[in-house]
Amino acid sequence: MDRYVIIGNGVAGVTAAQSIVRAQPEADLHIYAAEPYPYYRRPQLPDYIAGIVAEADIFYRPPEWYEQQGIRVHLSAPVAELSPQAHRLRLADGKTVPYDRLLLATGGLARIPPIEGADRRGVFTLRTLDDARAIRQFAQSVRRGVVIGGGLLGLETARALRALGLEVTVLEFAPYLMPRQLDREGAAVLETLLGQMDIQAVTRAVTEAILGDGAVRAVRLKDGREFPADMVVCSTGIRPDVTLARQAGLAVNQGVVVDEHLQTSAPDVYAAGDVAEADGVVYGLVPAAIEQARAAAANMVTPGSVTYSGTLPVTTLKVVGAELTSLGECVAEGADLLQLRRSDPQKGRYRKLALREGRIIGAILLNEREHTSPIRQLMERGTDVSACADLLMEENPDWSRLIAA
Amino acid sequence: MEKWECMVCGYIYDPAKGDPSRGIPPGTPFEALPEDWTCPDCGATKDMFEKV
Repeated sequence: MDRYVIIGNGVAGVTAAQSIVRAQPEADLHIYAAEPYPYYRRPQLPDYIAGIVAEADIFYRPPEWYEQQGIRVHLSAPVAELSPQAHRLRLADGKTVPYDRLLLATGGLARIPPIEGADRRGVFTLRTLDDARAIRQFAQSVRRGVVIGGGLLGLETARALRALGLEVTVLEFAPYLMPRQLDREGAAVLETLLGQMDIQAVTRAVTEAILGDGAVRAVRLKDGREFPADMVVCSTGIRPDVTLARQAGLAVNQGVVVDEHLQTSAPDVYAAGDVAEADGVVYGLVPAAIEQARAAAANMVTPGSVTYSGTLPVTTLKVVGAELTSLGECVAEGADLLQLRRSDPQKGRYRKLALREGRIIGAILLNEREHTSPIRQLMERGTDVSACADLLMEENPDWSRLIAA
Repeated sequence: MEKWECMVCGYIYDPAKGDPSRGIPPGTPFEALPEDWTCPDCGATKDMFEKV
């Protein structure tokens, strides 16, 4: 009987394991994980830091679950070496593990910015439960926190620190927050929302050094400005954990390179999730991890059976409690576009529609829950809305009139 | 009607509320959601949900 081995116990690893046992209930299937914990919900770590979600609640799969599914899980079992020719792993404790088909689902590591002082006491990154525990504990005895990086995770971390009572500043090096999802005007509304939570966002903030004498005292920017801080969380992105793959001689670019069957450059070795680079893209998103894990699992059971052709980007995300939907060419600029905007910073609402030849081709909707579905419909149908631009920007447009027309 | 929970992020689909921003009216049972419906918080697919 074939022996399946998965390295990694996150969304990709666990989803693939489930798919394999569904296809082959009697499969000899093993998960090896470096962390000591069974599967937990990584997206909930900021809420755990904030004290909104109890630690027990982020553990969604107790150890017994694996057993019930017929999955053998080996925790605190980091893999030291992969030998693709011999179809064998060596664990850090020296034990050898053979496999017939292997899945690399090792995920990503927090990127640490190359700045002076990043190793000081009181400087953190957030990726694992242990990181979250350390941040939560440290935050309870200090007053001022700085988050470097104003992406989704950085903003959620800032909100968590604020919930613990810290004065919080977010430093973002781009000219405005979340430039892939928002335009400048939309980002200003988001900044107002953050301001209402007493979170200060500073843009065009290029960090030069984390200052202090052993422990953190302040963060200094390239332009000389200084922000006092007792703790700093660096949220400057995730990089694929390619250590094993590189050592084993697999093709590695930004991530571990996989083909349309999620197979790496080595026979019988597959990769999925945050570690994988498919068609030049490292997604780093939950929906991609799930799709890739399922396709990889199918191909591990029956080689070549399922083709993966990429994952559509998510359109809606929750950021500091606000619902943000970015549709189509949401941040496009150009003389051929008519941009309609409606902004209510105090209510944290923003609606932007981009029209080309009378049709909506892009939209940014912040806290515009009840208008999202009709706008999506108008976009999908390609309805000519050029005659009713005023109506589109009313606070509560009569969508039925537009959609029926 | 039963609530369903996202295995990935913990979002709970409550049929009484539906998912208005994606055109799912209140009162829609989980089973009646379109197959391409995804978790509003993390984007996980419908089959990553389990009954609470």
